Amino acid sequence: MSDLTLGELDRDGAIREAVEQVSGETRTAFLGRAAVGGAALLGALAAPGRSEATAASDVAILNYALTLEYLQAAFYTETERFGAVGGELKRVPPQLGAVERAHVEAIKAALGRAAVKRPAFDFQGVTEDQSKFLRTAVAFEDLGAAAYKAQAPRIKSSALLAAAVSIHSVEARHAAWMRYLAGATPAANAFDQGKPESEVRAIVASTHFIVRHPKSTASKRPKYTG
Amino acid sequence: MRREPARGRRSGDDVSRASAAGLQLEVFPPGDDDLGVSTRAQFVARAVVAGGALTAGGVLVAGLPRIAVSAPSPAQDQKILNFALLLEYIESGFYAEAFAKGKLTGNLLEYVTIVRGHERAHVAFLKGALGDKARKEPKLDFGETTSDPEKFTTAAIALEETVIAAYNGQAANLTKGTLNEAAKIVSVEARHAGWIRAIAGRNPAPNATDQPKTGAEVQAEIKRTRFLRAG
Repeated sequence: MSDLTLGELDRDGAIREAVEQVSGETRTAFLGRAAVGGAALLGALAAPGRSEATAASDVAILNYALTLEYLQAAFYTETERFGAVGGELKRVPPQLGAVERAHVEAIKAALGRAAVKRPAFDFQGVTEDQSKFLRTAVAFEDLGAAAYKAQAPRIKSSALLAAAVSIHSVEARHAAWMRYLAGATPAANAFDQGKPESEVRAIVASTHFIVRHPKSTASKRPKYTG
Repeated sequence: MRREPARGRRSGDDVSRASAAGLQLEVFPPGDDDLGVSTRAQFVARAVVAGGALTAGGVLVAGLPRIAVSAPSPAQDQKILNFALLLEYIESGFYAEAFAKGKLTGNLLEYVTIVRGHERAHVAFLKGALGDKARKEPKLDFGETTSDPEKFTTAAIALEETVIAAYNGQAANLTKGTLNEAAKIVSVEARHAGWIRAIAGRNPAPNATDQPKTGAEVQAEIKRTRFLRAG
């Protein structure tokens, strides 16, 4: 058992601030208990590092998750900046961007100096085109949910596991939302399968979005994975 | 968005926020055979203990969220899976009845048609995993929530939110093999929540994390629905 406070873990308020940025329109509605509640759980990510050493395997899993969150956060942040998405999709980049940035901040706080650096991205135009954006968002969110799912049983720390599963289901909500907007079935199967890290990394590499690690010459878009 | 969020109707969020301040992760209390039917003062007391980290303005002042985890074991898995089975029975019964009554149309009809199959599959999976230890299907009474589209939507959101929080709350209490299976279910429940909220014009994913609920908190939510008939 470990006791912790968000105040101790989040001294500069970065996690709370990031969480509180969630959404424009719904800011007022969600700024209260719910948003800060989300921050409190994300704060739990940093708990093990405070009192005991985090297992090396947990550090590796967190860094892998951090890479995926960097990717998602940059994707939505850049799309919002370009302003190429409108209509019923307009609120997606700011809202999902805020959530993914909150995930990034929380995982970075958990890892401290062990955190991998943010890679350089080139989104190949998908952040400037509405239909490409939506298709990519569906793929990213399905992939994110599948990635967390495969890692959950491998996490040793109970506090990290609790935080990871609380992110896992949020990624699944995002996937359903993006699919709904894309006119695809939001929940295609009764059971969602996880994806092992090697498979996830291969899919990410095939997009060429991470320009520092071009591991594949394939030029296809990520597939729907749900 | 199909339509803008209805500002006045936030009961589903009230359900999901009820324990936003609490960060307890523990197995539901002993004597759980009457889940959701005979909950009483002990759960109220626990709920009060779990809260208190936040002021009304949402500023964190003195949060001391506690994480209490029970060591996983096959015996504990069985109790948790039976707890999950109760929730899946309720969901499955709810959607099956809503479909059978035939009052839903459009997006809601598409939703109920697909989701009822998922919940039926979850029930079948859990019954298979539990074998002769599986609990019996409870007596259920859904009132007008399966015939009135508005009430259906509100109830579906509340149910899905509660079930997500229930699975998330037990993750650390499960053995790794069982967690691996439960994780395949919880994200489907999360997709359902995102889907029905999108149909309702509500934010499909309002928070950065999905708060876990303890077994006791989930029991209290289920009791509030009055879907379970004592007897």
